[in-house]
Amino acid sequence: MKNPVEVESSAPASATPGLPLLGSWKAVYLFVLGSFVLWVALLIGLTNMFS
Amino acid sequence: MSALDFVVLIGSMLGIAIYGIWRTRGRRDLSAYLKGGHTPWFAIGLSVMATQASAVTFLSTPGQGYLAGLAFVQVYFGVPLALLIVAIFFLPVFRRLKVFTAYEFLGRRFDTKTRLLGAGLFLLQRGLGAGLTIYAPAIVLTSVFGWPLNLTIICSGVLVIIYTVAGGNDAVTVTQKYQLAIIFAGMITAFCLLVAKLPAGLTCSDTLTLAGGFQKLNAVNFSTDPRERYTIWSGILGGTFLMLSYFGTDQSQVQRYLSGESVREDRLGLMFNAVCKIPMQFCILLLGVLMFVFYQFEPAPLFFNPITSQALATQGHGGNLRAYEKDFAAAHTQTRQQLDNWLAARHRGDQAAAGEAFAAAAASRQQGEKIRLTANQALSAETSATTANDADYVFITFILRQLPHGVIGLLVAAFFAATFSSKAAELNALSSSTTVDIYRHLIRQDATDDTCVTASKWFTAGWGLLAIGFALCAHLAENLIQAVNILGSIFYGVMLGLFVVAFFLRRVGGTAVFWAALAAQTLVFILFFGAAVSRYWHDFFGGACPGGRLLLETAAISYLWYPLIGCAACVLFSLFLQAVSRSGKRNQEVFATDGHNLLH
Repeated sequence: MKNPVEVESSAPASATPGLPLLGSWKAVYLFVLGSFVLWVALLIGLTNMFS
Repeated sequence: MSALDFVVLIGSMLGIAIYGIWRTRGRRDLSAYLKGGHTPWFAIGLSVMATQASAVTFLSTPGQGYLAGLAFVQVYFGVPLALLIVAIFFLPVFRRLKVFTAYEFLGRRFDTKTRLLGAGLFLLQRGLGAGLTIYAPAIVLTSVFGWPLNLTIICSGVLVIIYTVAGGNDAVTVTQKYQLAIIFAGMITAFCLLVAKLPAGLTCSDTLTLAGGFQKLNAVNFSTDPRERYTIWSGILGGTFLMLSYFGTDQSQVQRYLSGESVREDRLGLMFNAVCKIPMQFCILLLGVLMFVFYQFEPAPLFFNPITSQALATQGHGGNLRAYEKDFAAAHTQTRQQLDNWLAARHRGDQAAAGEAFAAAAASRQQGEKIRLTANQALSAETSATTANDADYVFITFILRQLPHGVIGLLVAAFFAATFSSKAAELNALSSSTTVDIYRHLIRQDATDDTCVTASKWFTAGWGLLAIGFALCAHLAENLIQAVNILGSIFYGVMLGLFVVAFFLRRVGGTAVFWAALAAQTLVFILFFGAAVSRYWHDFFGGACPGGRLLLETAAISYLWYPLIGCAACVLFSLFLQAVSRSGKRNQEVFATDGHNLLH
């Protein structure tokens, strides 16, 4: 089975996200994952600091 | 509410509805009516957000924050991961197949009965949910304002039906933008006014220390006990499955993100939510935590739900209630005095005195909570009144007692806007699935677009009226935000299991997955209703049956695990049934040709 991402990358309409500083979908996904990890880390920090 | 509040409320709600009808007038093309089109990614992102965030989110979540602190935020840990999976795997396939509903994909991958099972589970779950969406805020708002409950449900329900019938998917998207603007304006205003109302000497650090001292800032819980509802594990594992089921298989969301012009727009709309959802929920919960701090310095009512006090007074228990209120007020005054001492000692740098004062404040606050609990138990034993849902009334009580006129109207408008936005999306999705998966697929396969649009409008109205009927008969035992999540958790796991098998297990055929899904759904029902069943089992067999204890403990697990269990059971049962099925070889051969073409 081919990876759906490979299928999608061939479609011109979704080839690039077209966002400043985030030139590829991989960068967008990493940004999303990074922001998730950051939020969880901040919440853990908040819990440890004030509990 | 004053005349100004009513002007703000009625003006904004009617204005948005009329604008939605006007902007989308004359839509007769089925694709435009059900899918919309050319929606930019930012509007898709807002639409996805508005669909998920109903009035329950804004009414009940601050109450969760007030009562239990930030722990509820862990439910949303699954959102970014789930949205990444949907954007990478689900979306391109839905897009390429040009499906109207997610269940169309099941029909093309498996067979008609599996498609109907998926659509049926969605219609059942979302049909019940639509009633809850309209009932939940109405019960809170009417009990506070004294409005007639049934009239509020009917009026708000009919207004949503009118503009959703008139404009279809585009009307939902167009109105959601403005509804979300009102919601955010209301919540930000409430947040700012609450911060301004905190005692003058209380710094940001003091506020956080106070909230943390009362265990309200425990946002992350690393406990591995599956019976604890909100932990980082249930949030990441269970929450991911819950959210993946919701965003990947619930037509009310699938329809939102398929309304873009291209995969890029849809995907960016999803990623927008993946980034924003956790901070948004954190801020709403933080509002509740700040209300908790506020009510340590201001008199708090014994019960926030006014119906409880009214019921007690009318049933002849006013004297008892006043006695409990007096004791509670005395404990609260003591807490306040100790917290003033704590603040003074903290500001002059006397850590020992500060520690003593805070311990005394915590003790007197605990005394107040004991009085509240005793009052609740004593009064509910004698009367029909209950404080089970008191948390749902915390925010609305704060709004009415502490905020100025105009702002009250804005916040009530925000609650109604949230009700309308999620309700309209639900009706639109229910109607789409009924039209595409049942009417055009089973009843009138030769129906023209025009006929389908007309049918879809009737289905929208029908589902809307059904939801109103359900709301008129509803009764809730759970806290509102939890009730919504629990209902979803019961059905979503199996729906997700159908899609996981469809996407990733190419050798499994329609018959195997169909029966596996039914068996898995039965298992989830057993778990959900298992608490009562297992108690009976254990009582009947007693210590002679070790299985009784096991079942009792299994049934006590958090609802966040249901989607994972339902999905895993569906996948495992499918593999098993396919392996033992005599037609397994034939299914493999069929999918080797059809299925390969479908996914690639």
